[in-house]
Amino acid sequence: MKALTTLVLFTILIPAFSQTRITGKVTDAAGEAIPGANVLIKDSYDGTSSGLDGTFSFVTEEQGLQTLIVTFVGYKQFVQQVELSGTIITISATLKEEINQLDGVVISAGSFTAGEEKRRTILKPVDIAMTAGATADIAGALNTLPGTQKVGESGRLFVRGGDGSEARTFIDGMVVLDAYGPAAPNTPSRGRFLPFMFKGTSFSTGGYSAEYGQALSSALVLTSKDKAEMNQTDIGILSVGADVAHTQVWDRASVSGKVQYTNIQPYFGLINQRVDWIKALESFESSAAYRQQVGKSGMFKFFGNFNQSSFSLFNHDILNPTVKQKFDLTNRYRYGNASYQQALGTWTLRGGASYSYNQNDVRVNENPMGETETGIHTKLVAEHSVSDQFEIRIGSEIIHREYKATRYNEVSGNSEELSFREMLSATFAEGEYYISNKVVAKAGGRFEYVSLNQSATVSPRLSLAYKPGKQGQFSFAYGSFTQSAQNQYLRFNTQLQPETAQHFIVNYQVVTDRKTFRIEAYQKEYRNLVKFNNTNPTLISNAGKGNARGIELFWRDSKTIKNVDYWLSYSFLDTKRLYLDYPIAATPTFASVHNFSAVYKHFISKWKSQLGFTYSFSSSRPYYNPNRPASQFHEDRTPAYHDLSANIAYLPKNNLIVYLSCTNLLGRDNIFGYQYSAATNVQGQYESRAVRQAANRFLFVGVFITLSKNKSVNQLPNL
Amino acid sequence: MKTTTFIFALLISVSAFASDKYTEQMSKHIHAVYTAKSVDEYQSAINALDRIALAEKTKWEPYYYSAFGNLMLATQTTEGAKKDSYLDLALAAIEKGKTIQANESELIALEGFVHMIRLTVDPGTRGPQYSGMAMQAFGKALGINPNNPRALALMAQMQFGTAQFFGSSTTEACGMAKKALEQFGSFKSDNPLAPVWGKEMTDELLKQCK
Repeated sequence: MKALTTLVLFTILIPAFSQTRITGKVTDAAGEAIPGANVLIKDSYDGTSSGLDGTFSFVTEEQGLQTLIVTFVGYKQFVQQVELSGTIITISATLKEEINQLDGVVISAGSFTAGEEKRRTILKPVDIAMTAGATADIAGALNTLPGTQKVGESGRLFVRGGDGSEARTFIDGMVVLDAYGPAAPNTPSRGRFLPFMFKGTSFSTGGYSAEYGQALSSALVLTSKDKAEMNQTDIGILSVGADVAHTQVWDRASVSGKVQYTNIQPYFGLINQRVDWIKALESFESSAAYRQQVGKSGMFKFFGNFNQSSFSLFNHDILNPTVKQKFDLTNRYRYGNASYQQALGTWTLRGGASYSYNQNDVRVNENPMGETETGIHTKLVAEHSVSDQFEIRIGSEIIHREYKATRYNEVSGNSEELSFREMLSATFAEGEYYISNKVVAKAGGRFEYVSLNQSATVSPRLSLAYKPGKQGQFSFAYGSFTQSAQNQYLRFNTQLQPETAQHFIVNYQVVTDRKTFRIEAYQKEYRNLVKFNNTNPTLISNAGKGNARGIELFWRDSKTIKNVDYWLSYSFLDTKRLYLDYPIAATPTFASVHNFSAVYKHFISKWKSQLGFTYSFSSSRPYYNPNRPASQFHEDRTPAYHDLSANIAYLPKNNLIVYLSCTNLLGRDNIFGYQYSAATNVQGQYESRAVRQAANRFLFVGVFITLSKNKSVNQLPNL
Repeated sequence: MKTTTFIFALLISVSAFASDKYTEQMSKHIHAVYTAKSVDEYQSAINALDRIALAEKTKWEPYYYSAFGNLMLATQTTEGAKKDSYLDLALAAIEKGKTIQANESELIALEGFVHMIRLTVDPGTRGPQYSGMAMQAFGKALGINPNNPRALALMAQMQFGTAQFFGSSTTEACGMAKKALEQFGSFKSDNPLAPVWGKEMTDELLKQCK
């Protein structure tokens, strides 16, 4: 009995003997204390939190060989084996930083990214949609950022002294040939893809990744949205047309379809235009997107777009305005893009194919002068996280293009056909290494071979970023870029080599909770530009060259004034080229020295409205005056460009939006350049006519209705 | 014989005590997370709940309350980036809880709450996206348990906020809040560790309704 009692008492008392005390301190690599870290014994409740000074102390009843773990957000787990036998154990837990891509250093030289909400990006996707003056056109909104040049008569993206053709658009990694819809001569074209389709937009003004090529100045990289989450039907009734879209969602897939009809004729009937329209732009467009989740981590995306647009007008001769030329354009466009992405452990495989068909059926006085371009792009990329600090990307792609143009030879009275086929194959490799949360380096290269002219080019790319403190960071980028000569020149000489550009960019930026400041400087060197002599234009070569340099400033603040978000951007550009038919080195007509934009957005809850204003300024642009000798080429300057645009989105009900916008509120008669007559007048002078806006203002009204189960959903993010 | 029975009873009581360790520890730390007054106090409770979650492996309640703690920290901090990082931690814990118990009404209602607070960091920009996600989560939680007072109260809060933002009527929101108050009185869960918070929040909302 006594023995038994002793045994019982002993079994009760034993636990007291097998307690072990564990103490220590938790610090980071620099020796700074980490308070609030979780110190624990694996598979046990035992543990504690570190104090303000990083020290901790706790008692555990576990015994034998155990695993001690220390964790704290932003750091890698600290793991140590301990032998628990009753004697006190002291631990020095030094936690290593985890590479935190949300908060750590980011390479930003030459790039503006609008993407995931939580990241500290300069732009949000809704910014692109809701910028006044842009009327939901991506290029229009991007034109308020530094590095872009306002070329009002064109509507395309002109970046840092580069021509509009030097900026290329990619959707889900696949190239989009001809991303702009057709437009009458000297009236702006609009991008074919609306901002609402995309969850991420990365706009580079230089120095972009080795994955993208065939763009001398800029890559606009768009990532389309993943599977939709809600069934909804969207209806838009606009002053220039109407559209209907429907999204259907299943457990693992979604389909969206949109049909749109646009006719500017009624609008032009109401508001006087400077263009002599016979039939204003009329277009029919349909698009569809399909998303399918595959397995655990795969995603298949398909996007298709079909568009037919047409218009006709009269071009009046400058010397004798009663003489006119009939100009008809019918554009037929088809685009298909399929992509697939699959995660396999630390590897991600993605691939895709895209098909572009763009036909411009042009008739000048009934004579056919059109062109057709067809392109097929296939690409395969493998990404691998070698460690949480080092990621590599390798890929291969083939772009096959076919171009055909019809020209009317006035001398012979016959139609001539020019055509070529270009097969471009490329391989690229890139590595991104996070040396710490403060320094990151990215290096890569791209090899391209073009069958048409047997040109082989190697383009290295390098960028670095350094974040010295908590908020500001420095970035540097260098890259070499090549692009095939434009179709209109390549068709005369298929042996023209690719044009090349080298970029050197440095920047400093500070992104805080609701404010951004950025300053960037760059130098671009152009070589192998297309050059020809006006006396014999078919003798084309790559003897042209040029350079561009500048400084840009950007400031954004959505905190200081309540409910107000504004940004200011200024660009200084100094550029000269000796290319095409230039007799001397001169500033191109699309470049102006000073460019400034101010964008203001204000949500007024009393009015249930979002109000926006955009003011844009460009200093004078050069233009060609044939009355001057060659030594004074491009010496004349247009007046400066000023534009104040406004928009208002009114939400009377949650799912109904009334949208009004007006470009050039003050009605300034902006002049983009001068066109000259083909022949001299009786005084031996060439006469000129100013290239103006089609109308002083463009007014737009739209009503957007969303029908869905969830009554609080509307199209505000899509506008 | 008597001694054997005594020892047997003792051993049983010891083992019963051991299996109540989970309930005992959880009750202690749930109370801590309900009554914490400083960041340190919250962090201690969250860490303890994380330890229990990792040790138990088959219980969703530790993840729920760890998420709740981080969510409370998010509501009490003013800096946007910090709010987001607390919300990220809360969401990570909720996701882990969901892998253990896929259709738990309380977890999904809490997820909706995370989206609601996420919205407040930048309402102008995040409004449309996160209000949609929050309402969807509350709807799903009520689909599983139509009497969940927390899901009802949070939905009412969301509807009230949206109505205020757009200047429209708050009748629907106030009706939902009344319904929530009723359920706080009548709804009782079988689970001794089930969440019980939210009545104060509902009372505050109803005051604004009068």
